[in-house]
Amino acid sequence: MKVEIDAFSGFRVYPSKGKLFVRGDSKVFRFASSKNSSLFLQRKNPRKIAWTQVYRRMHKKGITEEVAKKRSRRTVKHQRGIVGADLATIAARRNQTAAVRNQQRISAIAKAKTEKKEKESKKAKPARAPVASGPRVSKQQMKGGKGGR
Amino acid sequence: MIGLKSTLNVGEVLYPFYVLTQLTKFMQVIDNSGALLIECVNVLKQKVNNGWGSVGDEIVCVVKRARPVSAATQASTTAVKVRRGDVRRAVIVRTKKSVRRPDGRFIRFDDNAAVLLNNKREMLGTRIGGVVSADLRMKGWGKIVSLAPKVV
Repeated sequence: MKVEIDAFSGFRVYPSKGKLFVRGDSKVFRFASSKNSSLFLQRKNPRKIAWTQVYRRMHKKGITEEVAKKRSRRTVKHQRGIVGADLATIAARRNQTAAVRNQQRISAIAKAKTEKKEKESKKAKPARAPVASGPRVSKQQMKGGKGGR
Repeated sequence: MIGLKSTLNVGEVLYPFYVLTQLTKFMQVIDNSGALLIECVNVLKQKVNNGWGSVGDEIVCVVKRARPVSAATQASTTAVKVRRGDVRRAVIVRTKKSVRRPDGRFIRFDDNAAVLLNNKREMLGTRIGGVVSADLRMKGWGKIVSLAPKVV
């Protein structure tokens, strides 16, 4: 059982109710009652007839409930875990006391300083590799630019 | 509700004769047999012969207006070309009077239309252009329904 929609008023047409009209251009119109079909055949514009769904939608009658629902949805925010840090780690970090954080900072600084000293000794050798690739890229770009133009 | 063929309640549509005057009803032809407008002369029904026909009824008709038949098309035997003044049979496929479906719905078209047949209940044309009522299938005109581009 399929409940159709009236072509004029937007009402629901249940089976065995109303009429079906096929116009000369093969367009099908369903009417829920003789009131709808009569007005349609009189070529009335449903947008001007106050009790039709078309009119109500146009003049925004009775839609305030739907609009309110949409607004409430937007304000609610959910805390979600990210790929790198799930909810537990986020909560743990948020709940850390200032003292704990300070200690972490100090230890991290100390670590970084020791690591830096080690790196400076090793930096002399691998430094050439990244520097050499730099000018290569720029030369290619220059060649490509000329070829393009 | 439905019971037997209740031709009284189901759309009595085309009247070949009005009660007093001998007016006859015109219909469009929607196949490619060459006829354009036909006039209903008699409605062939076994039991009731009151002159009213509905969708799926066979009628005898006179071709009032037909497409001009040129010599070239006469040579080709693709379709039997019908001329003005021919008396042929036809089956009603669309009616302006609403027809009741078994589910209780009423269907009404914007005009009256028919498809030409020969005496053996076979179609004369090869194609149908336009909407056709689905009541035809119930009355046994499955071939017409299958040829129609749209069935309502």
